[in-house]
Amino acid sequence: MAAADYFSLPIFFIVFRETTEASIIVSVLLSFLSQVLTTDHAIKRRLQRQVWAGALIGLLISLAIGAAFIVVWNKYGSNLWASNESIWEGSFSLLAVVMITIMGVAMLRTTQIQEKWKGKLAKAFDDEAERGLGNNSRRYALFILPFITVLREGLEAIVFIGGVTFSAEIKSIPAAVVAGVFCGFLVGYIMYRGGNMLQLHRFFVVSTCFLLIIAAGLVAKGIAAFEANYWDKLIDAQSDDLGYYDPNVNVWALNCCNPNDNTSGGWQLMNAILGWSNVADIGTIVGYILYWLFIIAWLVFMKLRRRHRANADAAAKSLETPEELSYDEKEKEVTEHHHQDQSEDIEPAQLQ
Amino acid sequence: MLASIKSLALVALASTVAQAAVVTYDWNITYVNTNADGLFERRVIGVNGQFPPPAINVTLNDTLVINVINNLDQPTSLHSHGLFQTGNAQFDGPSMVTQCPIPPGANFTYTIPIEQHGTYWIHGHFGGQYVDGLRAPLIIHNLNETYKYDEEYTIALADWYHQEHSVMLEQYLSIFNPSGAEPVPESALINQMLDQKFNFVPGKTYRLRIINMSALAMFHFHIDGHEIEIIEVDGIDVERQKVSSFPITAAQRYSVLVTAKADTSMNYIIHADMDPAMFDVVPDELVLNITGTIVYNEASPLAPEELSQWEPFNDAELVPVVPLATQAPDQVFALTAAFSVLNDYSNKATFNDITYVMPKVPSLYTALSTGNLSSNPEVYGKYAHPMVLKHNDWVEIVINNDDPGNHPFHLHGHVFQIVGRGEGKYDPSSGPYPGYLNTTNPSRRDTVLVPSEENVAIRFQANNPGVWLFHCHIEWHLQAGLATTIIEAPEIMPSVLKVDPTHYEHCKALGIPFSGNAAGKEGLDLAGANLGPDPLPGTFTGKGIVALVFTIIAALLGLGTVIWYAREDDAQIASQIAQAKIAQEEETH
Repeated sequence: MAAADYFSLPIFFIVFRETTEASIIVSVLLSFLSQVLTTDHAIKRRLQRQVWAGALIGLLISLAIGAAFIVVWNKYGSNLWASNESIWEGSFSLLAVVMITIMGVAMLRTTQIQEKWKGKLAKAFDDEAERGLGNNSRRYALFILPFITVLREGLEAIVFIGGVTFSAEIKSIPAAVVAGVFCGFLVGYIMYRGGNMLQLHRFFVVSTCFLLIIAAGLVAKGIAAFEANYWDKLIDAQSDDLGYYDPNVNVWALNCCNPNDNTSGGWQLMNAILGWSNVADIGTIVGYILYWLFIIAWLVFMKLRRRHRANADAAAKSLETPEELSYDEKEKEVTEHHHQDQSEDIEPAQLQ
Repeated sequence: MLASIKSLALVALASTVAQAAVVTYDWNITYVNTNADGLFERRVIGVNGQFPPPAINVTLNDTLVINVINNLDQPTSLHSHGLFQTGNAQFDGPSMVTQCPIPPGANFTYTIPIEQHGTYWIHGHFGGQYVDGLRAPLIIHNLNETYKYDEEYTIALADWYHQEHSVMLEQYLSIFNPSGAEPVPESALINQMLDQKFNFVPGKTYRLRIINMSALAMFHFHIDGHEIEIIEVDGIDVERQKVSSFPITAAQRYSVLVTAKADTSMNYIIHADMDPAMFDVVPDELVLNITGTIVYNEASPLAPEELSQWEPFNDAELVPVVPLATQAPDQVFALTAAFSVLNDYSNKATFNDITYVMPKVPSLYTALSTGNLSSNPEVYGKYAHPMVLKHNDWVEIVINNDDPGNHPFHLHGHVFQIVGRGEGKYDPSSGPYPGYLNTTNPSRRDTVLVPSEENVAIRFQANNPGVWLFHCHIEWHLQAGLATTIIEAPEIMPSVLKVDPTHYEHCKALGIPFSGNAAGKEGLDLAGANLGPDPLPGTFTGKGIVALVFTIIAALLGLGTVIWYAREDDAQIASQIAQAKIAQEEETH
């Protein structure tokens, strides 16, 4: 399928996700500024420019680092690559699995994070209003936060892309990146305009599902790469990718449906998203299933723990009157709970 | 006048008949240690304590008798490659095809009427014994040679290994060789020795009989400073064809005429270059191009070596001196040769998806003992790949080479005409064969090269009742199963072939049944027959479906958990937002 050669779906998803996160942060900052600084337009515009400047410079630097990485890789990395291709493939895949999984699960908490930031920003500005905007670090906080966030998201995206598609054709990258960035910006823009937070949450759930499916596929592909490396060395294969496998552990070996077959784009797509292969063995199957079992266990554990805490808090609060709690205190409550959650939350250090 | 001519004729006839001798060779087959290539001493199979085994020389109309004593620790048998064995199929030699192999310590006498002339060879046909050295030229002189020459030399080329064949075979057929990489020879030899010299006297014409006795390698033959003319191919005299070099595959033979130079000032190099195309790897230390020397004068220097240029060569263009018109075939077979990993997980060779496996009873004995059923291919067992031919039918076989390698195919008991060549695979159901070379006197031989992804059409008449093996003559490939058994005129075999009961004694000694079908049973009851591996299904098997179902369930459960994990927060958030809004409104009011 010619189209698939020019558009890498996994890269699109990763870039989309990273850009969305970054643009959410930027849009939170911008919309917060609009809401808070309703009177002082001059200051508002200056601070908004700070936000943009931080975001854009962060973006430029992360792109520069990405380009440098690609150049260095193409020049020096590919030699190191060829002799042990399968081991690189396997290692990158498993590394990507870890990062994608953590970020995918973290994504499910984004709206809570957003609330938390709004709280933090509100608190920071309250303090500022009292003391005046004289403090330098505070002055440039609105530059530093988006700068660091966008920089980090950008670098994450590069590492993810490296892990998921280390062998992707160069021509499949640009279109996917552009599309991902565009869609990410779109999401941020919609949020800025005050989109329905519920819908946004659903979007995050769906995209996490996609990311975890990709990660599970990567587990299978990573294991397959390590096993191929072992078997190819054992049979002293003179060229690679001939589809020879260890018959002792094989589970299925189909004549059809081969993702390495360049004429069948459909199977290539299935390989990219689901980790599908026409050859599967005990290692890849068990690895795949174990990954999902791990996800299930982890999510169940986290949710039960949160419920347990919520119940404990509710029990404690039942001594007080709920109606007397102010907005701020409620926020504090919510944010405190969120603090106690796992470190997957995005923690902008400056505003602690 | 007439009377004297008549009596002269009678005298001539008498002398011809008188010349037909019984030529006897005693072959005591034993192991010998030798360092044939000067690089490595190893155990080989020799004859009468000698290595290399001596050449056999006979003349047309002789009877060749070979008294074999097997002093190896394994069975053996001998095949006279290229000899028709008309009415003599039981002495053709391939183990479990025309005989039980000769047990260790036993005697066996091959009695072969010589009905043809030319350049042939004799080699072991039990396992890969010929690769371990059990091979020798078999030269059949004509009473009156077609071409005039002063002297002749035999130049037998062969690749050479340092390990014994059975050891390499285990590696070749193991599951750790799914790509079917053939073992690469360590060197090559002329006449199974080094540094061969051939004396040339100025002005004389020499016939060089070139034989390729290799397990694998094809050679390109050329001589520095001399033109060569091909005059014989696989025992068939052909019209002179001048070439500068020609390729010769395993098992093929050519005779060339060379005219010696007028002066003795220089000696010249004879080149036999191994073609590395079929070698999986070419190690740096492997000398591909081996040489011999044409010596005019021991003291003369060697002429500077010429650049090796291999000429392409189409043996279908050779014109037999004795013409034989072809006829429209009564039967056409298409055999597609391929290699793949079968369901025993080793790389095997197949003709039409069937890999050759030896039956429990030698196929010839099955033909002789199953009465009316001998024309039913079933009795020979599916994996002997039997092809039953009717007596005197003209038979055409289109050999499709569906493999990246080049394969030399050999038919026992016959020479065949090369009637066509083409690209790709020919399927008889698609219509008549498109690659016919319309010639009234097609080229004939017994071993033909079918290049990769090409096809060749061969034709012969089924006029030689017997069981004839048809196989690739790369020994590794024969062991991998690239063979079929041609059951020719089984209906008249019992009247034509008389098997000496001592042959059956050898079967008894080895515990091999010698009558009945491929399972050693009566009729069509083939339970217990030797079965070969079959192609892999290439589809989901039971365990594959189970695995797939479990992976899908795991993924769905995982996704469900994600949705469950995130769901409550939807409501939570909604209520928090609602509460917050309420609180804000309360504040501003």
